[in-house]
Amino acid sequence: MNHFELAFRNLKRRRARSILTILGVAFAVGSFITLYGLSRSVHENVERSFDEHGTDLTVKRRGIAEPFGGTIPEELIPEIAKVPGVADVAGQLITFAATDNDDNVLAAGWSPGSFYWTNAPLKAGRIPNPDESKVALVGGDIARTLGKQVGDDVTLLGEKFRIVGITDFHSIINRNQVIVKLADLQELTFRTGAVTFLSIKLEDPADEAAAERVSAAVEAMDRLAVSPSEGMLRNDSLFGLLTAVSTSMAWVALFMGVLMVLNTLLMAVLERTHEIGILSAIGWSKERIMGALVIEGFILSAFGSLVGIVLGVAGSKFLSAVPAIGRYVAVEPTIPLIAVTAFAAMVLGILGSFYPAWVATRASPAAALERA
Amino acid sequence: MTSKPLLQLEHVGHVFDDGRIVALRDVNLDFGKAESVAILGASGSGKTTLILVMCGIRIPTSGVLRWKGEHVSTLRQWTDLRRSEIGIVFQDFNLFSTLTAAENVEVAMFGSSASSAERKRRVEEALDTVGLANRATHLPQELSGGERQRVAIARSIINNPKLILADEPTGNLDSKNASAILDLLFDLQRARGSTLVMVSHAPDQARRCARHINMKDGQVVDQTSMPAREEAL
Repeated sequence: MNHFELAFRNLKRRRARSILTILGVAFAVGSFITLYGLSRSVHENVERSFDEHGTDLTVKRRGIAEPFGGTIPEELIPEIAKVPGVADVAGQLITFAATDNDDNVLAAGWSPGSFYWTNAPLKAGRIPNPDESKVALVGGDIARTLGKQVGDDVTLLGEKFRIVGITDFHSIINRNQVIVKLADLQELTFRTGAVTFLSIKLEDPADEAAAERVSAAVEAMDRLAVSPSEGMLRNDSLFGLLTAVSTSMAWVALFMGVLMVLNTLLMAVLERTHEIGILSAIGWSKERIMGALVIEGFILSAFGSLVGIVLGVAGSKFLSAVPAIGRYVAVEPTIPLIAVTAFAAMVLGILGSFYPAWVATRASPAAALERA
Repeated sequence: MTSKPLLQLEHVGHVFDDGRIVALRDVNLDFGKAESVAILGASGSGKTTLILVMCGIRIPTSGVLRWKGEHVSTLRQWTDLRRSEIGIVFQDFNLFSTLTAAENVEVAMFGSSASSAERKRRVEEALDTVGLANRATHLPQELSGGERQRVAIARSIINNPKLILADEPTGNLDSKNASAILDLLFDLQRARGSTLVMVSHAPDQARRCARHINMKDGQVVDQTSMPAREEAL
């Protein structure tokens, strides 16, 4: 029997306490992975949805906090298209719109002939013809949710649109988006001549200097902000707020979990003061006793972290399955997030064991033995 | 030249509660090798405190203790002595409820240089010595009071200590078990040549020891050697 085996036996034979402590660590780790993963996923999913359209730079109204609140005049499209280094420009209007069954969907209006249409992968049906109106492309997931097929009607803001195609995008946002003609959505939202974003395709996306020159030229035109698609949410106040809230919740969950674990470990050690007295009486040094208690803390944290990873992944899948969340965000905890969180929990478990162990070994052996 | 005593207490005192309670007062005692000593006295006379001071579980507030002539003053020294030279048997056994009999014994060997196989062999040997070879895998709560005390004795002898301190080892046992435990302790003491210092309330038990120390109000009031009685038993 070595120290690890001794610790395992102690924990195994105090099953209820060990399980509760492991669950405490697990909930802290799981909550952090899920909530922090959620905050990261908001950014990643938005950026992925732009990537799928083949967008290199995104143009939005400078200084508007709401991501879909700012508008840009449509007539800027041909002007931006003339900027050297720009291969193509497309505009899209985006809004949350009421649909069938009192549901809401993300609706996008795409300008006619834009590269958005040509880059849209189709699962079924076809791309709308240039002269058609009141037709829609529906994302695969939302089509399934609403039970729609090509040829069916889908309601947007009280207006019926005929579904002509089902898209086959990968990103969760695009899989749940209803796409209509820009003019139709402008009319329905009283935003004639306006778009929410402009998407720029560069002639050479790898040429960073050219991208900077294009950005500067476009920003000089009007009150516009240009950012690479992967960083378009970096300075967005609303997404920043969302991220701050979910990140704060994640840290609060972790902090509460750590406190709970510290409390459990402290109680677990203090209730064993008598045992610690016996160990001292049979010749265990303070260092050896502390080592044994810290090993127990490590084992509890390690098991708690493992269970926490499972809970975190399950929690992420659960959040993704909630329609209100999963329609816009696929919560996918990354391997580095999981690894860092589990590692941090184990380190905290070890550090958290030191204090109770130190408290316990401070008592004189005689006093410890007297506490039966 | 005479050999040094195993343990010497020189003017040892111990007070509690900022000096309001005097548990030991100017105790001067020598304990030689292979002795059997009974500490007698009424409740509160300082017997248990004396035992705890003799193994460093309580550090005296005055006086000096010497182990084989060496002054023992630090907690580290006492910890080392309890690990290798001093075995302790308590009235209430003080076993770990989560560990089996064998594990309870083995846990006293942590820190020794013995290999895993060696430890296992010695644990089996110790349990066999106390008559519990067939109860090695039982938890303390699955053992009788007498068996628990046997496990505690096996634990106290596992490192072949020179001194065994027993604080009312039969206090929680019926007369039959008490007699068997005393037989075991004295057999081990004789067979291993160790010194046994035992606190007892019962005069008949104390009579099995070669030397009696009587205590009152924290002081040694009388010491008697009675080898003839031991031989008679």
